[in-house]
Amino acid sequence: MPVLPERRAHGTATPAGDGEPLLEVRDLHVRYAGSVRALRGVSMWVPDRGVVAVLGNNGAGKSTLLRAVSGTLRHHGGAVDGGSIRLAGRPIERRSPWSVVAEGVLQVPEGRRVFGTLTVEDNLRVGGRAARDAAARSAARERVYRLFPVLRDRRRQRAGLLSGGEQQMLAIGRALMGGPRVLLLDEPSLGLAPLIVERIADVITAINEEGTAVVLVEQNAAMALRVAGLAFVLEAGEISLYGPAAELAATTEVRDRYLGVGAGKPEPAVARRRATSPGPAVRELTVEEVSVRFGGIQALGDVSFTVDPGSLHALIGPNGAGKSTCLNVLSGVYAATTGRVRYGDDDLTRLAQHRIAALGVTRTFQNLALSPAETVLDNLLVARHRHMRTGLWAAAVRTARSRREAAEHHAAVRRIAELLDLDHLLHHHVGQLPYGDRKRVELARALCAEPGLLLLDEPVAGMNHRESLGMERAIGSVQRELGISIVLVEHDMRFVMGLADRVTVLDFGRLIADGTPAQVRRDPEVLRAYLGGSPEGLSERTGAGDGPGGTA
Amino acid sequence: MSQAVGFVVNGSSLGAIYALIALGFVMIFKATSVMNFAHGSVVVLGAYVVGRTHDTVGFWWAVLLGLAAAAAGAALIDVVVLRRARGADPGTLAILTIGVNTLLSAELTRETGSAILSTGAPWGTSTVHLAGVSIPLSRVVAAVVAVAVVAVLWAVFKFTTWGIAMRAAAEDGDTAALLGIRLNRIAAGAWAIAGALAALAGVFLTSFPSPGITPAVGVTALAAIPAWVLGGFDSFGGAVVGGLVIGIVTALTAGYQEHLLFLGRDLPQVAPYAVMFLVLLVRPSGLFGSTEFTRV
Repeated sequence: MPVLPERRAHGTATPAGDGEPLLEVRDLHVRYAGSVRALRGVSMWVPDRGVVAVLGNNGAGKSTLLRAVSGTLRHHGGAVDGGSIRLAGRPIERRSPWSVVAEGVLQVPEGRRVFGTLTVEDNLRVGGRAARDAAARSAARERVYRLFPVLRDRRRQRAGLLSGGEQQMLAIGRALMGGPRVLLLDEPSLGLAPLIVERIADVITAINEEGTAVVLVEQNAAMALRVAGLAFVLEAGEISLYGPAAELAATTEVRDRYLGVGAGKPEPAVARRRATSPGPAVRELTVEEVSVRFGGIQALGDVSFTVDPGSLHALIGPNGAGKSTCLNVLSGVYAATTGRVRYGDDDLTRLAQHRIAALGVTRTFQNLALSPAETVLDNLLVARHRHMRTGLWAAAVRTARSRREAAEHHAAVRRIAELLDLDHLLHHHVGQLPYGDRKRVELARALCAEPGLLLLDEPVAGMNHRESLGMERAIGSVQRELGISIVLVEHDMRFVMGLADRVTVLDFGRLIADGTPAQVRRDPEVLRAYLGGSPEGLSERTGAGDGPGGTA
Repeated sequence: MSQAVGFVVNGSSLGAIYALIALGFVMIFKATSVMNFAHGSVVVLGAYVVGRTHDTVGFWWAVLLGLAAAAAGAALIDVVVLRRARGADPGTLAILTIGVNTLLSAELTRETGSAILSTGAPWGTSTVHLAGVSIPLSRVVAAVVAVAVVAVLWAVFKFTTWGIAMRAAAEDGDTAALLGIRLNRIAAGAWAIAGALAALAGVFLTSFPSPGITPAVGVTALAAIPAWVLGGFDSFGGAVVGGLVIGIVTALTAGYQEHLLFLGRDLPQVAPYAVMFLVLLVRPSGLFGSTEFTRV
């Protein structure tokens, strides 16, 4: 059912609530810095006590919509230049952030953004400043501790020490402390393992059942559409589809683009055997009984595995399993407390980060580490540093050799850019690119260093289904063409299973399985720890990426 | 030996005054990311108001007036000048404060003229003898007041909701705004507290053994900048320790000046900066400053 772009009558389109909408956005236009149009005539509404999902690609305008509602556009150089936002009939589009909060609109920002140096209790106290009075505050605190008992247990700890899932719970709890009438959640499932996402979904439902309206902005469309009563799809700053969530989930557009069923299945595993043999600079990586402790906490315990030259090795596990810690040991960011990491004959545990990079081991970062003010080309050229021979003086007087070398580096960068379909973006500033493109720029930058071993930290975190398919293809073709070893940290099981030669599974810092994707998928330990569900649940969840006919 | 002890004790009390000023620098920096070079003239403003009013209202009321004037003055600097430039480049903000400093100190110089005002503090020129060391009473009071102020500030930031909200806003202003915290109020509050601390320091800086209230005190007050920097731009504890270090170094180099002539005259004025450089060579973010930390 292609849904009509006009607003429907409330009676049919507000399955989770009746009567006049609590929050209503009408024909909203937003510009950034006076020129870039981010929203063009967006209309959406939130029924009283309803749950509304807002879906859309990166850069579609979801964050802008939330900023407009919460009055924080001006912090980002944006302004509303048309339309209205009403809360219970009262206009709020020109209000300051604090007065929007005082009206009962509270937001849980993307990336959780807990106050890391404050204790859990103090984080909640900050949120509680928006509450009406002391009685409301203490009732809200009880509600938060009831919804998230773990926060009560850890209330005296610094929030920075919580795991990603716990931080998300704290961020939601912090907003609940203000006694919201409307709770805005910006990507609450971002970067969280499937089990935790389930928990978050249940909590959202529970919060809603207690009378709070919820706006859920999500990449994870499956979760959002299950929880929501009403859904809107944003595309390029406009609402392209809307309607009851269940109906929307059944439309082919949404199924294709956001749920990852239907077209666009990943290539079957048999088709992605390596074409190239590993290059001479590609060596075997051996991790030998590595342990890492932070203070009293064991982040990794006696982890051993081997990455064959030219293979794609996935490191998976739930949030807090120690995947990123492991990657940080491989790249020299963290020192191993005990154990060794050998790359060929070199002992990486004894080398400084830049020495490791000089051996041809490069990495990408979970949360992107690019220079936003520079062009894509310049960001990529920086990675050529280890291959540059021209000194400052020769470059300054532009000797023939330095010009020849510069031309070579530009050619190398262009080759990589073409491989990742970035060639048309080379002269754009990185800061202007949507998230998915920036992730690919970061991958390209790592490749420009011509690594023998590439470490990828959650390359598809925060991407929607279509973008992550693109990334999957890019990684597959990179590995086929360049014949390098890749270590891939990921918790998107489906993504990993279609791509990896070998999979190592971590849980609570310990290695619980190591083998081919097929072996790991059958491992009862993995079923229990990682997916927490029955074998049936597993086959359902991993089936989509599992070769031909997965979801025919 | 007892001479050395005397220098250290005197230096500590001077350091306590520097610590009050450095705490203001930290407070303003944390709340608004401004390096406030107008702080020296706020110190003078506080002392000036005390000097002008103590004859009519008495010393204690004069101190209250001085604190209030400096707090209001500092908050006004934020509201009138800096609020419009929120989020601008730190260099731009620093230059704005240098401009404010020039205006404010010129006006205070004009007001003061050639007169040397005194604070009229009841402890006057009396000294006390502690463990064989003689030390001006005003410095003893300064040290006691500084310790009390630091304790109160610590408690406020640790236990009051307002203090916690201020720490939250300093850590992540955007998110704090989403929770209903009024960043402009937090900022003005931080400036006001810093102004009051500056006025307190001003009273002690201009009491005996100093000659009195002159605009030049503003320059003396800037000796707190090395204290702030070596403590680590954003650390309250660092500001206190930094103040003490600078105070003791100043007192020691002044005391042993005769033996240190090969390093040139006026060494006490240079020494704080030399110490600052040495510390920064070993610890680039200062003694207690947070390093630029990114989770990867």
